[in-house]
Amino acid sequence: MASIAHDDPVVVIIGSGAGGGTMAYELTRNGVPCVVLEAGRFLTPDDYENDEWAAFGQMAWLDMRTTSGTWRVAKDFPNLPAWIVKAVGGSTTHWSGATPRIMAHEFKARTTYGAVDGANLLDWPITLDDLAPWYDKAEQAIGSTHRHGRPALPANNNYKVFANGAERVGYKYYATGPYGTNAEPYDGRPASIQDGFNFQGDKNTSKWSTAVREIPRALKTGKLDLRPECHAVRITHDSTGKVDGVEYLDAAGSLHKQAARVVCVAGNSIESPRLLLMSASSLHPDGLANSSGQVGRNYMRHMTGSAYARFDQPVRMYRGETMAGIIADEAKHDPNRGFAGGYYMETLSLGPAFLASFIEPGEWGRSFTEKMDAFLNTAGMWIVGEDMPQESNRITLDDEVKDAHGLPVPHVHFDDHPNDVAMREHGYAAADAIYGAVGSTGVHHTPPYPSTHNLGTCRMSEKPEDGVVDKWGKAHDVPNLFVSDGSVMTTGAAANPTLTIVALAMRQADHILQEMSTGQL
Amino acid sequence: MTDLQDAAIEPEDLQLDNTDPETSGSPEPLDDEQQARLLRVLKVAYPHPSFPDGPYQRTSAAVQQADADGVLADGLDALGDLDGLDDDAVTAALKAVEETPFFRLIHSTTVVALYDDHEVWQILGYEGSSFEKGGYLHRGFDDLDWLPDPRIEEYDGEPRLELVEKEA
Repeated sequence: MASIAHDDPVVVIIGSGAGGGTMAYELTRNGVPCVVLEAGRFLTPDDYENDEWAAFGQMAWLDMRTTSGTWRVAKDFPNLPAWIVKAVGGSTTHWSGATPRIMAHEFKARTTYGAVDGANLLDWPITLDDLAPWYDKAEQAIGSTHRHGRPALPANNNYKVFANGAERVGYKYYATGPYGTNAEPYDGRPASIQDGFNFQGDKNTSKWSTAVREIPRALKTGKLDLRPECHAVRITHDSTGKVDGVEYLDAAGSLHKQAARVVCVAGNSIESPRLLLMSASSLHPDGLANSSGQVGRNYMRHMTGSAYARFDQPVRMYRGETMAGIIADEAKHDPNRGFAGGYYMETLSLGPAFLASFIEPGEWGRSFTEKMDAFLNTAGMWIVGEDMPQESNRITLDDEVKDAHGLPVPHVHFDDHPNDVAMREHGYAAADAIYGAVGSTGVHHTPPYPSTHNLGTCRMSEKPEDGVVDKWGKAHDVPNLFVSDGSVMTTGAAANPTLTIVALAMRQADHILQEMSTGQL
Repeated sequence: MTDLQDAAIEPEDLQLDNTDPETSGSPEPLDDEQQARLLRVLKVAYPHPSFPDGPYQRTSAAVQQADADGVLADGLDALGDLDGLDDDAVTAALKAVEETPFFRLIHSTTVVALYDDHEVWQILGYEGSSFEKGGYLHRGFDDLDWLPDPRIEEYDGEPRLELVEKEA
């Protein structure tokens, strides 16, 4: 590992997940020294635990957050709006692994869907064709199954129920992937042993994460100074408006400042806008890079829901790769369904520990315990689709609640859009049909969990007044400030976002290298 | 004690910054009558015919441990004597207090503690940690035999229609 002086202006990357970890590797392997500030600890696969709550306590982002809005999470989990990871590797540590690409028309959401009441839709400043070369590279890095000649994972028990149901209702586009876990040894990591704990970090390292691929490789270049347990609190700029440093708190709570030539913000879609808002200055009175007023706005979390179906015979859904099962037939824009955008269905399993907290939050009595008693015979799926960006769904700095360091905690406001509600109902009905076709005796519709897909709070836009960053993820207002995570997504699309975040970060890294080589950065 | 109780992590705890020692007070221990009443409440609110007493007793201990605000004893006293009541009547009594801090404490602790109990896992048919046993690759990840083996590859017919025209 490199040791970079605090007064040496280098590329400073904030966060080490899908965006930040990818950026760190792409730049350091091309010889560019980087400091990565990661708020979480440096966990390795040996540290990961095959235990839901123990792993949650080990890696979940549990810093105080507050919520409001009509979403049910604000009632059931008022201080846990998002279920993401605070550790080296970020949320790639617990990501499920599904890697669909965003579809061509989803990059043109405003044009395709037209005006939707209450939605702040906008076309992306890039197209699928623009991103396609980096999607290829991202799929190679992640090792997506079903892509570039890589084999499919075998069918596990939960998939057998899911896929047979899909076939019987007439769906065609189902498979065990694309999925970011090795079906056979690949890229120096082994094949899956189907241990069923990929939300807890994968001890076997068969699942791709920046913690097992990009960060270790970046460290080996000798160009990366990785600083775990270092939480960025302010980005500073010089009198010309260029950012020149990042202030951060170390594990002991001491304040440091790292000089910066370029800053890449990749703290996920709650912390990234929080950091920009906390970096307000006389030149940026409403927050850094916020002349549009869009920093923190258009917070998206994907339309989600789960369906847990009971059968007369055992399923044992917990055995095997958790999300190695995808149905794509409903991932289309079909205005005849009465809503814009589409959704995927994906296998999902929770153990009894998590299921009890999430299957129907707040419920008790026999209706609740019947669901738990049926655990062995239960199959599960997640429904994930595009949600509508709304200006009023946003991250702000809480006026009243401070964190342990006296800094304002992020406040997350979210109201479901009627389009989200209509899509969720459609998805539940599809799940009922799928499981009904293979003999389910009852399907429970589970409400959305705390958000795992957090998107859109620093969105890309063609025009500076419509968003925060340009088509490269560079701030419209600041020439050497980049946002490198899912918060740049202009709209949410239906696809699980990790593949897109990695592809965008690779594309952005190539752009930064180009700009550095021509002296523009 | 389960691992979880050691970790003491539960959703309701997430708002705590753990920086204020004032929040970790220790109220008076429950007396025998209150202990018995709490156990009855747990068995009625989370009824599992297949569960023995052990998991409920461990959950009771977890609830008492989580009672930082000291709402438990008063809440149990307010329920009154449950001995002469059948389960439906106890359920009704709990329904009437389900929005109180007392019942929220019981619920938020129980959904974590009871279902993180390894004896409960065994009864429900969950096998827990698997990595050290080689996962389920050779231990039944695909042993479901009441449905045919489905296709695992993507559909190789016509490509998926991603954009559908609106019907007139």
